[in-house]
Amino acid sequence: MSQATDLAAAAGSTDPRVGLRAVLALRRLLERLEIVQVDNARRQGWSWQEIADALEVSRQGVHKKHAGRSPAPTRGES
Amino acid sequence: MWNRFTAQSRQVVVGAQAERRRLRHDFVGTEHLLLGLLDDNNGPVAALLRDAGVDPERVRAEVAGMQRRELGESDAEALRSIGIDLDAVRASVEGSFGEGALEAPLPPGRRRLFGGRRTPTRLSPRAAKVLELALRESLRLRHDTIGPEHILLGLLREGEGLAAMILVQAGLDLDELRRRVVHSLGAAA
Repeated sequence: MSQATDLAAAAGSTDPRVGLRAVLALRRLLERLEIVQVDNARRQGWSWQEIADALEVSRQGVHKKHAGRSPAPTRGES
Repeated sequence: MWNRFTAQSRQVVVGAQAERRRLRHDFVGTEHLLLGLLDDNNGPVAALLRDAGVDPERVRAEVAGMQRRELGESDAEALRSIGIDLDAVRASVEGSFGEGALEAPLPPGRRRLFGGRRTPTRLSPRAAKVLELALRESLRLRHDTIGPEHILLGLLREGEGLAAMILVQAGLDLDELRRRVVHSLGAAA
C-alpha cells in the first residue's frame, strides 16, 4: 500500500482513537495560532471588539481569554 | 546568582535548553537538566552518574517519549492523518512572526536566564527551583562557585521532578547518590 493510501485510510479511519487524537492535535494547533494572531492584532492596534468580530465570538469571551497575557513583543525583534 | 555558575554548569543549562528545543518541548524541565548533565561525556558528573548505573541513552529515550509537550511529534503525526503538515504550518508562522512563534507563550514573570530575547531559557518552575537549590548547596558547602555537581545536588534535593523519577526508576537510591556527589566534591577540593 502506498503512503498516500495509508494517509487516506487514516483520515477516514473509523477508529475513534485515531480520529479523536487528530481532533486533540488540531485543537492544540488552533489554540497556538489564536494566540499568535490575537497578539499580532493587538500589536497592530486592533480593539478587542474588532478581534471578536473577526473571530465571530463575543468581545467578553476574547478579552477574558487573552487580556491577561502581556502583549508580547514581536519575536525576533529586539 | 548567575555569575557564580562555572563555564561547565552554564554549559549544562545551555545543553538542557538545546535538548528542549530538539525535542520540541515547551519548557526546560528537570529532565532536560539531567540530559544536560549527561551530555558532558567526559565530565565528572556524567561519569558519576554512569558509575551509579545511569544509562545516558536510556534516559534520553525516556525523556523523548514523555508526553508533557504539546504540539510535539505525536500531534504532528495525528495532524498528518487528516492531511495537515504541522512542519509547513510552523514554517509559515515562524516566517512571519519569528522563530518559536508557535511555541507556548511564556507566562508573565517567567524567568529568562542568560539574556537573549530571541532564545530565552524557558525554565519550568521546578527546574528554576533546582537551580536555586544548586546555589544553596554551593553556599552550604562553602563553595565559591556553582558547578555541575551542585546542579545534580539540586536535582536530588528537589526530588520530585521527572529527573528524580527517572533516576528512581533506574533503581538508584537518591540519598546514596547524594552522598557520592558530596564525597566527590570533597575529594576534589
